[in-house]
Amino acid sequence: MSTANLKMLNRYHVIFLAQSIMIGTGILSLPQKLSAMGYTEWFMPVLFGVVATLTLWPMVWLCSKYPNENLFRINEILLGKVIGKVINLFFVLQFIVFSAGIISNYMHLIQSTALQEQTITLPVICLLLLLVYIISGGIKSIARFCMMTFFITIGMFYFTRWAIEKGEFSHLIPLFNFDWQEFFDAFKKGYLSILGYELIMFYFPYIIDQKKAYRHSLIGIWISIFLCFFTTVVSVIYYSEWQLKNVEFSVLNLFKAGEFSFVERIDIIGITLWVFLILSSITAYVWCAKLGVDSLLKKKRNYQLFLLAAIIFLIVRMPFSREFQEKLFTTSNYIGYMLIIWPIFLSVIYVVRKKKVQQ
Amino acid sequence: MNRKLLGISLILLVLLVGCSRKELKVPLEDVGMVGIMAFDYIDEKQMKITVAIPQYSPEAQQKTQIFSVATDLVSSGIVEIEKLSDKKIVFNQLRVVLINEEFARKGQVRKVIQHLYRNAEVGNKVLIAIAKDNAETILKGDYPDKPNIIFYINDLLEPSINTAFNPNTNLHDFIYTISNPVTDTILPYIEKLDDKLEIKGVAVFKGNHMEELIKPEEALIIQALQGRKNLAPLHLDLHEGHGEEKLMIDLIESTIKMRSNKSIESPKLIINLKIKGTLSEYKGAREYELNTVESISHLEKDINKQLEEDITKFLDKLKNMDVDPSGLSEKFRMYYDGKWTTKKTREVIGKLKTEVHVETSIISTGTLK
Repeated sequence: MSTANLKMLNRYHVIFLAQSIMIGTGILSLPQKLSAMGYTEWFMPVLFGVVATLTLWPMVWLCSKYPNENLFRINEILLGKVIGKVINLFFVLQFIVFSAGIISNYMHLIQSTALQEQTITLPVICLLLLLVYIISGGIKSIARFCMMTFFITIGMFYFTRWAIEKGEFSHLIPLFNFDWQEFFDAFKKGYLSILGYELIMFYFPYIIDQKKAYRHSLIGIWISIFLCFFTTVVSVIYYSEWQLKNVEFSVLNLFKAGEFSFVERIDIIGITLWVFLILSSITAYVWCAKLGVDSLLKKKRNYQLFLLAAIIFLIVRMPFSREFQEKLFTTSNYIGYMLIIWPIFLSVIYVVRKKKVQQ
Repeated sequence: MNRKLLGISLILLVLLVGCSRKELKVPLEDVGMVGIMAFDYIDEKQMKITVAIPQYSPEAQQKTQIFSVATDLVSSGIVEIEKLSDKKIVFNQLRVVLINEEFARKGQVRKVIQHLYRNAEVGNKVLIAIAKDNAETILKGDYPDKPNIIFYINDLLEPSINTAFNPNTNLHDFIYTISNPVTDTILPYIEKLDDKLEIKGVAVFKGNHMEELIKPEEALIIQALQGRKNLAPLHLDLHEGHGEEKLMIDLIESTIKMRSNKSIESPKLIINLKIKGTLSEYKGAREYELNTVESISHLEKDINKQLEEDITKFLDKLKNMDVDPSGLSEKFRMYYDGKWTTKKTREVIGKLKTEVHVETSIISTGTLK
């Protein structure tokens, strides 16, 4: 499959794709996920940023060896057709479950705050229809949607004003007040919130200026990291340690701190605006899943996007117990980490089999 | 073909609306929005919940509906109230939670408030107050010159600069202070006097229960120590060699700086308080001398001394009670590696030595010479 004539992402697209995919439901509960470390958690997002910077490099390096292929094809080239296809199928499943997890998480939040007397079936259908609409425009329309999302939702940071006014900055010290077990616990749970930048391995062939892709992606990543850092710091100064541990959606309660003379519950506005952030990250994941399905099937078909949406709907509304759902989503989250490690593994294979697989 | 499909689906869309189920939403008239909730102590297991709901119907004699039930769990109490009420009970408009003194001293206040904090319907701006004797009688009381008990109590407790004294505590503050090992919770304390209510002082908690009632003047010191910028007017009795003098300062700004010696074994805290204000009233021997800069600065020095004395006395009182409502131990936690616990706070407060410096500056004494 040649994509040479499909180069269409300019640098702004690359920056905001990396930025918006990272911010999903994760940031909502990031302070709670890191709470094993107590008040000291506030510098963790910066550490995550450093890790992301380091792990992004092998991804871009690997992709730059195959400027016209996405990761699904690279898998097949490096691992052989059969193993590659099996792995690809695995990736597709992972993306589907992962996006279903994000939707389900967000919908339960909506149900418990904004729409208490309704079932979530209708909102999920609306969300999925929008999703299909955005994806059918291709990666460029997703990138444009990501840019729009950023500028629409960035204003929400104003809502944390009251929390900053009330907060105690003395919570920020002492700085390194944790033991290693708490650190690993926080790292394991928290790093999830900034996943998303690894998708560059799938839209890399569409980037116009591939040589600078690393730099542009980094700008996007660090914008997101700054936002995560800001949220975490505000949460730390505003909450007590008990609250950090027990308030699940800390950002929501930060919004609850203030009010305008004309709006009393800003958290409801915030949480409904959040749908943009959710959409921008799941569209990218589902787009990747669609790409994977394309590479698995021999013939190109038009209905697979709808099929994917239907599968996601079934997973979100499936008649299994909440416990099973939770387990499934947590597992898929941890598999998400594998995608970070995967390019390093592939790079090793590339170096070993260099002569055989060179184009 | 696409056009035909579009046309058909449009027609279907319009026509099929008729088949949809009727929505089961409760209309606004049938919703009872709780404005005030009150908790009274019955015994260890039981409590009495009273709710006040505004009555909008013009035919009703009373402007507020009041229901009370005895229950062991908050939510089952609410179900009981729904049985009594003609409306659906919701908490979106909850403004004030009243807790009677006995419940605050013996009951499970933290659990009850935590239940409300968990509820997504309830905002974080709900004000909490302690009521003397019985919270139910406060709600059921007759206040002929007030529009409505819900507005009245809410406005009484509502933070505003004009209110002379106001230690308001909302849901977030309560949960924050009670769950934070370095601070003890304070709540305003109100009492019913015939046909009006009065904020009598401040209830100080120790752990999860109310410990002591302190006077408004002392509570002002707590607020100043917490670093609040705008304080209520300060009333002072001076005894600095000019006989008995009384004065009132409208505080414009106060800033506080605290430095600790970072040691938990022998904790020491140096407190620097700077206040700026206007002298609004003075009664005493120097009444006719206070028109020169020198005499004012002399008065400022006397005020400093008096305030230093008052604050030190009050801190000693807190030390004897072994509570820390103004979060002084935070200054020691900041330099401590490891988990900070309530026990450590008690230790620090028990051994704390303080050094207080006050710097007053009187900006003006009004426009008359």
